[in-house]
Amino acid sequence: MALKTEEMVLNMGPQHPSTHGVLRLELQLEGEIIKDVIPHIGYLHRCFEKHSEAMTYPQVIPYTDRMDYLASMYNEFGYALAMERLMGIEVPERVEYIRVIMGELQRIASHLVALGTYGADIGAFTPFLFCFRDRERILHLFEITCGARLLYNYIWIGGLSNDLHPDFIRLTKEFIKDFKPNLKELNDLLSFNAIFIERTADVGILPLETAINYGVTGPNLRASGMKWDLRKDDPYSVYNKFDYEIPVGSGEKGKIGDCWDRYFIRVREMEESLKIIEQAIEQIPDGDVKSAIPKRVKPPEGQIYTRVENPRGELGYFIISDGSLNPSRVKVRAPSFVTMQVFPELCKGFMVADVVAILGSIDIVLGEIDR
Amino acid sequence: MEEVESKPVKRRTKDLNLWEKIYIPEIIKGLALTFRNIFRPKFTMEYPEVKFEPPASYRGRPVLVQEESGVERCVACGLCSRVCPALAIEVQAAETELEKERFPEKFEINMIRCIFCGFCEEVCPEEAIVMSKDYELAFFNREDALYGKDKLLVPASELEDRIKFLRQYK
Repeated sequence: MALKTEEMVLNMGPQHPSTHGVLRLELQLEGEIIKDVIPHIGYLHRCFEKHSEAMTYPQVIPYTDRMDYLASMYNEFGYALAMERLMGIEVPERVEYIRVIMGELQRIASHLVALGTYGADIGAFTPFLFCFRDRERILHLFEITCGARLLYNYIWIGGLSNDLHPDFIRLTKEFIKDFKPNLKELNDLLSFNAIFIERTADVGILPLETAINYGVTGPNLRASGMKWDLRKDDPYSVYNKFDYEIPVGSGEKGKIGDCWDRYFIRVREMEESLKIIEQAIEQIPDGDVKSAIPKRVKPPEGQIYTRVENPRGELGYFIISDGSLNPSRVKVRAPSFVTMQVFPELCKGFMVADVVAILGSIDIVLGEIDR
Repeated sequence: MEEVESKPVKRRTKDLNLWEKIYIPEIIKGLALTFRNIFRPKFTMEYPEVKFEPPASYRGRPVLVQEESGVERCVACGLCSRVCPALAIEVQAAETELEKERFPEKFEINMIRCIFCGFCEEVCPEEAIVMSKDYELAFFNREDALYGKDKLLVPASELEDRIKFLRQYK
């Protein structure tokens, strides 16, 4: 006699600790197998795009910080870059170098949160604390430089809000020296831990074709085996002056593009970021960081789309200017938002417990999805 | 709903060897590291007992600089309230006998709205509004969050650090 079965709908979130913010997932289950997932977003919507239209161009910067709150420095970077291209501002070289150093430190900080919370999500609590210990030192570097730990308001249109702290270079070098052994420790503790591999390898496989069809970018795309990084493929700022590699997923522990690949890509990206910072610190020129800041930000009529490689993927700003002091439209192409679309595809056929592992591995920030 | 074919539950292609399957060595490896850390220096701070001292660059609560004579530096030009992205500052100017001619009759910062961006400090021509190191802000109701001149005025001697930083870097 066949057992009578019934489909079950299970709500996960918006207050679930492993949904990384306020995200509600509607899981359609057959037993414990996922048939479909419907993500419900919008719990953190703060009208960034509409709100920007009421602000002057420089006033938008503090609000870009609040989108992807784990990579604020990079949001400002992208916005400032877009505005500079729209207005045709040449930025001093020192500013470019400082921006790259800040951006890469931010990438490490963001990945540390991603890896730490991913470990915590699937049951490894110690690496979480170790990651946050190291992130704390990066936040301290930001704090002595610009005065805030999360919402910096540091990168301005045409320059920076202030120059580096005299201790910054020394402290950054110390951080890099201390961080390298810590990264190895993280690998021993989490990356190559058999229990961790069992939870993540061969789970949530993202085939390259699906990833491209959905427009997935950043570490998630690279984990699926495509070498696509805007720092190399559409170079901006001074990224073409450094020697570094773009890590690509290899399917070392399972299939290519599984959760473990997506996790490990971030570990390797941190190593590459360290390389960039080391080189940038050696080459950093002198100069005035405020010389190119325009007194009055009034771009000509026109529109621009600029993209940068955020820790989560391609962050794009589409700005339409009508020649006044306020933007006519600011549209943000948020990498997490695009990655969220592919999430149901990743989950189908796996178990409920794997949803947590898959959600952690794509590293979404809800502030950026909802904006 | 359309029919979704369930994938086979057994997924692993590369199986673990017996040594890895037992898990115990992995647990011991993890625990060894945990125990090693007992003897390392602490990296946490026992917060309410030990207070964190922010650097001079820190952007805490915005305050008004009070001169030694007890008068605020502010000349009520209203630039800060115009530049504020969150519309948190309200200034009402009035005339005075003093040299500066104008002073703020009412200066109010709504601390619920303030986003600590530091634009007000940046735009101020008189160095009259600066970001202090005060980071402990909690209120029991919304009325308490409206900081008037009584709460905003801080003697210049307490803000020396920040003013020095501003002159050097801004």
